[in-house]
Amino acid sequence: MENNIRAAGISKSFGSQVALQELDFAAAPGEIFGFIGADGAGKTTLFKILTTLLRQDAGKAEVCGLDTDKDFREIRRIIGYMAGRFSLYGDLSVEENLKFFAQVFDSTLQENYELIRDIYVLLEPFKKRRAADLSGGMKQKLALCCALIHKPKVLVLDEPTTGVDPVSRREFWDNLKTVAAEGITTLVATPYMDEAMQCDRVALLQEGRILQIDRPAQIIADFPKAVIILKTEHNRNQLIRKLRKLPEAESVFSFGETIHVTCEPAIKGKLTAAIAAAESGISFQPEQAAGIEDCFLYYMQRADGRENN
Amino acid sequence: MKHFKIFIWKEFLHIWRDKKTLLIIILLPIIEVLLFGFVLTSEINHVSLGIYDQDNSDWSGELTRSFENSRYFDLIRLYNEQDVEKALRGNRVKAVLKIKPEAEKSLQMGESGIMQLLLDASDPNIARTIEVYIMNMSSRFMKQAGNRKNLLDVQQLMYYNPDLKSVFKSVPGLMAVVLMLICAMMTSVSLAREKETGTMDVLLISPLKPGQIIIGKMVPYIAISFVNILMIIALSVFVFGVPVRGSLVLLFLFSGFYVVCALSFGLLVSTLVNTQQIAMMISLAGLMLPTTLLSGLIYPIRNMPRWLQMLSGVFPARWFVETLGHVMLKDSPVYYFLQPLGYILLITVILLLLAARRFKVRYD
Repeated sequence: MENNIRAAGISKSFGSQVALQELDFAAAPGEIFGFIGADGAGKTTLFKILTTLLRQDAGKAEVCGLDTDKDFREIRRIIGYMAGRFSLYGDLSVEENLKFFAQVFDSTLQENYELIRDIYVLLEPFKKRRAADLSGGMKQKLALCCALIHKPKVLVLDEPTTGVDPVSRREFWDNLKTVAAEGITTLVATPYMDEAMQCDRVALLQEGRILQIDRPAQIIADFPKAVIILKTEHNRNQLIRKLRKLPEAESVFSFGETIHVTCEPAIKGKLTAAIAAAESGISFQPEQAAGIEDCFLYYMQRADGRENN
Repeated sequence: MKHFKIFIWKEFLHIWRDKKTLLIIILLPIIEVLLFGFVLTSEINHVSLGIYDQDNSDWSGELTRSFENSRYFDLIRLYNEQDVEKALRGNRVKAVLKIKPEAEKSLQMGESGIMQLLLDASDPNIARTIEVYIMNMSSRFMKQAGNRKNLLDVQQLMYYNPDLKSVFKSVPGLMAVVLMLICAMMTSVSLAREKETGTMDVLLISPLKPGQIIIGKMVPYIAISFVNILMIIALSVFVFGVPVRGSLVLLFLFSGFYVVCALSFGLLVSTLVNTQQIAMMISLAGLMLPTTLLSGLIYPIRNMPRWLQMLSGVFPARWFVETLGHVMLKDSPVYYFLQPLGYILLITVILLLLAARRFKVRYD
């Protein structure tokens, strides 16, 4: 029982559209496992297979030692699932939603109140309000409560933070850590790369394939490239276009205010000097360490490049 | 069973919270019955009838007066063939009764065919009704006038609905349409909504069995349907004087069978579509139109071409209208119900089998 979710060689196609290609991963009890990827990377498909809603074409997946294909009825009793659109009943009140999702899974609100207490205290003032009238952050909290109320062994959250304000997002991740501390394995899909740091381990997903899979800190530590972070007083887009023409610059991305340029660590000093000499109005960030997003963008670009060649 | 109970509770909440839809569901049958009862009637009142009396005898004068005194007809006297032609063409009259010259004499000699009835048949249903009224009135007149001999070859007796009130026929048809609308459309839309909002995924993952989801969706609408049936019957009995000659228990029993059949229709639709809008479109176009047009509510089934008659048999409404006719108007013996009831059950079983095949516990 080292890993309570295990997937090996999972593949799935919809007609000629390949959604997942030979995916392997495992998640341990109490682990928060993140899947990072753009829309259409295959996150939702993978989650639907793990929640037994979809059948894989090939490969084998297990949840708590139960086969997703053969034992799907048993699995359905031990997972909590929160679909991307906060599957709640908008015309029912907060209280009624909770009561429904508790009892439909043969549980009660009282039985597992401890598990959701931290989240529910925030919702309590609105308990008579209809779910449709809640803010995005509140809807998300309610959906999480509903997914947790029957105390599942595995929690599967499909893009729980999409369309939610930054403050609620941060609160949400704190909630997840409380849940994970109870030993509940949590799978989270998100399109936001910065959220990767909140996970115990992450898998970077692109076009149905896992590009990288590890602890986020390890991914950063293993990053083979160096990053130059700079700002300009002039037109940013013009500068990005110029920098992309440099053969030494392996990737150039805009990060809000700043521009990140990746290159071989050996030539970092030379390239920095070259950019400083060629352009005016440029300032370099003192902190030049690569972040998780640099790693992801680099790996995704590299995978794209391979695809095209 | 706890999860099943809470599911039904939730379904009732959905209906209760959506006050606008609830209001429509409750008011629609009332409005339709009133509409069909008062407005869309084919019974006749003050129809303009032309009389071209070529006989001008005492007898023909009496006959004319008897028509004049009736509330069904407004008499317009015509004096020659051109008048007759013009009145009919110009819509001044719906029918012309021609009394032939020497009609009284011919009558005394025992000849028949002394009158001729010309009907504006551009609306065939009304023309037929007028014909029946005139035949009835003239034969009654003949009897009163002491003529034992019948001047008309056919004697008609209107059983079960002597005044030919169209509301008698509309009520069963209306019940068929309203129940089909509520049961089929509401269930299909309600299931499609679960798919649309993604809650269907959660329901599938829950310990609820597919059968429980389906029955849970049906129960509230069965309850509402019976409220509707009660309202329609109460309205038609107390406002329009439609009789319920047979057993009320049978009436409710058969309605129950039909309701389940309609719900199965809705269920099948919902397994085929993913959005509420398409569910609504299919229910309206695919069920409402055939139900209204092919159930005999508006157009008599026996007047349809053969292939349409056979097609109408596919829709349960036709058989439901037939059973209702037996129960409400005729109080027929039980074996008259068996055939139409059998068809309803057969259609239900086929629909449920199809729906069960299509209802997916997992998507593929």
